[in-house]
Amino acid sequence: MPFSERPSPQDAVPQSPADDRFGELVRSVAQQRDRAAFAALFRQFAPRILQYCQKLGADRGAAEELVQDVMLTVWLKADSYDPAQASVGTWIFTIARNRRIDRLRKEMRPAPDMDDPAMTPASQATPEEAAQLAQGSRQLHGAIETLAPNQSEVLRRSYFLEQTHEEIAEETDVPLGTVKTRLRLALGHLKRSMKDTA
Amino acid sequence: MTFPHHHPDDQLLIGYASGQERVGKSLLVATHLAYCPDCRRRVAAFEALCGSWFEELPGEAATDLDGLLDRMDGLLAAPPASADMAPPRVSDVAGQQAGRLVPEPLRSWLPEAIDSPVDCGSWTELSPGVWLSAWQRTLSGTTICLLRMAHDAPVPAHRHTADELLLVLRGAFSDEYGHYELGDVAQYVADTDHHARGASEEDCICLFLLDGDLIFLDGEEERRAG
Repeated sequence: MPFSERPSPQDAVPQSPADDRFGELVRSVAQQRDRAAFAALFRQFAPRILQYCQKLGADRGAAEELVQDVMLTVWLKADSYDPAQASVGTWIFTIARNRRIDRLRKEMRPAPDMDDPAMTPASQATPEEAAQLAQGSRQLHGAIETLAPNQSEVLRRSYFLEQTHEEIAEETDVPLGTVKTRLRLALGHLKRSMKDTA
Repeated sequence: MTFPHHHPDDQLLIGYASGQERVGKSLLVATHLAYCPDCRRRVAAFEALCGSWFEELPGEAATDLDGLLDRMDGLLAAPPASADMAPPRVSDVAGQQAGRLVPEPLRSWLPEAIDSPVDCGSWTELSPGVWLSAWQRTLSGTTICLLRMAHDAPVPAHRHTADELLLVLRGAFSDEYGHYELGDVAQYVADTDHHARGASEEDCICLFLLDGDLIFLDGEEERRAG
């Protein structure tokens, strides 16, 4: 699950019309146990969960099991979805990511516990720190949006699809050195967004 | 309140957000997140980026899955399982000071409080004033344990063949790159020379992560290496 605190209004997740529609469907599932709404979410996201698992090496059978597992979680946990924290797509991605690590990689995913009293809440920030947090968040979103397409693509392949540099070079038909350069440039671009807040 | 000043690099944060990072380093990142609202937001932004990649995956195979949707019917009809058993809450522990506790997820991994006396069998002395915990785990090629440094005690010179990471859980330490306090992460790539030294009144206790072999150098080797 995304576990960021409820964002302040100025850095709330931007909502697109599609987000609104999917958010509405999740709400219907949560409040009315609406199967038609669930079916609509299933048709939208199940194929993507399937692709995600298969691209990460699962066979069709295991991928289908995971689709079922993730969509059942959507059905059961719909009331925990918070549109202020993430789009429906991001929410379902985080469920798929966690279930994949759990079931296919046979590992667990360590995550902070938002109810842990030992956790440092953002609300402890001084006004100056709070301003820095908001600014850092805006700068990072800006940096992500302004990534060059070929740099975003190497990030996607190496972190989201977990491809090695060699695999990326082969599949995108660019020299290995170029893959490494693009990755370095992408990370440098994101890092610059941290400069003023670090 | 002061938040951490030294953070895991973006490779670790994106890897954690995407699920690419394995359990050992994820444990360190997740525990840093408990201390660091800034990195929590950064990870949330990277999750949103992964979410957008997820949504862009082609969806044309939709019709193939109608059978699966039908088969889920029975599952949806089943009454929801009894509410998840809530894990024991630390807030229930009488007299515990939350500020002194190691946050989750690390706390559940540790066998006991981190400040157990150094002579109770939980610690192995490496050099005067520096100990490694007897508690040690190896997870997907990463070794994790605790490192403890008394005030001003230097960690013996060592070489590491792969990445080394430290997360401060108590006290503070310093090396030639900076001063590290509660929740701070120090990240060293392979073969970096660094000389950590306890820098707080109380013992500094860190989560210590190592990807490859750790080689402590004796005095003579150190002179050769240096």
